[in-house]
Amino acid sequence: MSLSLAVSSTGPRAQAGGFLGLLGVAGRRVFFALAVVAILLIFIGPVAILLLTSVRPPSGVYYIWRGWEFTLDNFAEVLAQPVVLHSMWNSFVLSSIATVASLGVTVGSGYMLSRFTGPIQRSWFGIIYVFRTVPYISWVLPLYLVTTNLGIYDTYLGLLLPHVAVHVCFFSWIMKGFFDSISPSMEHAALIDGCTRWGAFRRVALPSAMPGIAALAILSWLWTWNEFLFGLILTAQRTPVITVTMAQFVTETGTEWHLMSATAVLAMLPALLITIFGQKYVVRGLRM
Amino acid sequence: MAEVILKDVCKTYGSLHVVKDVSLHIQDREFLVLVGPSGCGKSTTLRMVAGLEGISTGTIQIGSTVVNDLPPKDRDIAMVFQNYALYQHMTVYDNLAFGLRNRKVSEDKIKQEVMRATEILGLGPLLGRKPQQLSGGQQQRVALGRCIVRHPQVFLFDEPLSNLDAKLRAQMRVELKRLRERVETTSIYVTHDQVEAMTLGDRVVVMKDGCIQQVGTPLDIYNRPKNRFVASFIGAPAMNFLPVDIVQKGDFFHAEAQDFSIRLPPQRAAIFARTNRRPVTLGVRPEQVCFGPCPAGHETAFSAPVEVTEQLGAEMVIGVRAGDTLMMASRIAPEAPIAVHDHVPLWLDPRGLHFFDRESEEAIN
Repeated sequence: MSLSLAVSSTGPRAQAGGFLGLLGVAGRRVFFALAVVAILLIFIGPVAILLLTSVRPPSGVYYIWRGWEFTLDNFAEVLAQPVVLHSMWNSFVLSSIATVASLGVTVGSGYMLSRFTGPIQRSWFGIIYVFRTVPYISWVLPLYLVTTNLGIYDTYLGLLLPHVAVHVCFFSWIMKGFFDSISPSMEHAALIDGCTRWGAFRRVALPSAMPGIAALAILSWLWTWNEFLFGLILTAQRTPVITVTMAQFVTETGTEWHLMSATAVLAMLPALLITIFGQKYVVRGLRM
Repeated sequence: MAEVILKDVCKTYGSLHVVKDVSLHIQDREFLVLVGPSGCGKSTTLRMVAGLEGISTGTIQIGSTVVNDLPPKDRDIAMVFQNYALYQHMTVYDNLAFGLRNRKVSEDKIKQEVMRATEILGLGPLLGRKPQQLSGGQQQRVALGRCIVRHPQVFLFDEPLSNLDAKLRAQMRVELKRLRERVETTSIYVTHDQVEAMTLGDRVVVMKDGCIQQVGTPLDIYNRPKNRFVASFIGAPAMNFLPVDIVQKGDFFHAEAQDFSIRLPPQRAAIFARTNRRPVTLGVRPEQVCFGPCPAGHETAFSAPVEVTEQLGAEMVIGVRAGDTLMMASRIAPEAPIAVHDHVPLWLDPRGLHFFDRESEEAIN
């Protein structure tokens, strides 16, 4: 369906000449089919390799296209390691709390940026802008010092605060975009219909922005779940997170690809479920 | 129901003067239309009455209450917005009930009011739908319904028909007119469309650059425009303006331009005694530029070459060259034997002659 649409929509342009014009109708169809296959391979290839590796025995990981030995032992082995489940739980708790906490700030911040102008809004906008433009890798070392000095290194709080900060900086913009797309006259109508300013926000603006907020919730959750760098620098034994645990299969004696892959597949599952069920909202969020 | 009084109302944003000293007295149950080009301050004036914009100076009174510092919810008004502003996440029923629920009206009473509005506006089959499932016209009707369920003291309309296509706009204009007869409430209606202003308003206020240009009944404004701006803004096709010199020849006054001269009716002579030989602008509406020989008693005949013809079926509109101006003449019989480049005899209906000072642009009466 989408393929034929793509062909027909480019048809008139193709007829005007150029490379596509030389191909003819059948040629264009083949060309687009090949292009789609190539794009799919780019995205699906790594995931397919990961899945295959996770079900091969240790001896088969370097030659996944050879041999027919498949096993689920890798999964049993990683699940038998307490640190894996512990990390997954930590990541789950962190992602969930970070999402709820950051949305609380992001919704207010996005609404303020969308609806009000003044020195406070301009300063806030400036701060967010600066933090957005600075590569976040450059925050990590100062954050290490801050968390150790505050005594929150390797705790939930020590990891949560930087995550919330990043969410607020990155997602306030998206939230602003959502509120921008909601006509302020709807809130004006609510003011006239008997609401206070807060009431107009809570009863009209907020419910209208719900699809956007849902998209952001999913994006925030996935961002924290997949985040590696903060986890690596700001945690140790007490509060491991799944991305860092996964990387620890690279040992001095070699890389245990089969175990790493099995852990990665396990780590993919929640993200996959969320993406499948929240796809509609995520697409909307990513489009903004 | 109440009267609305605006006294010396101004609105400034920094050094920008958006509304300047607007004073209006809107009678109880009157339908007042604010009309003007975009940026003339008409919407800002309306939003100040609504409480959505602060008032820089002056006072606004609704009924016996000065509302300058009251929030919108306490002004007992209802407003229809250009983009309908329906609550997208609620059904039509909930949209209609929202204002009443905020005022803690009982659900029985709400239902009764919603049904009344539904019956007036024909919204029955739509009550369970969400706004995005409705057409523009239906959405606007729901917005109207949201106003009438509350029985407010004043209705405010902010260009409610401008988002509709031409056909639907004409239809909704008629519906609004009918609604007016059933629900008699003081109304302020903002539009940039002079047809809406003429057809809906008991009185019309023409605004430009934040100032009121003229207040009057539609016919007043049409027949006796106070200045050139009002004359040009109201009426379609627009009034023709021709810079002329007033010249006295014997007992009569003539309005003359290059290749154009008419003798002015004696009853207007008094004003020309004052304006003799002064440069003025002659204004004449296209429907008062008539085709054919001048009837006896009128001396306003002239002839001019035709430059454009527009066949409309019911009438023909032609454009002729008069001095430096392309003068439009409407109401010409559609089958009249007129072609481009013809030299046609025309005459001006003396009742429709307007004169404006060329510098101040004020009407000369």
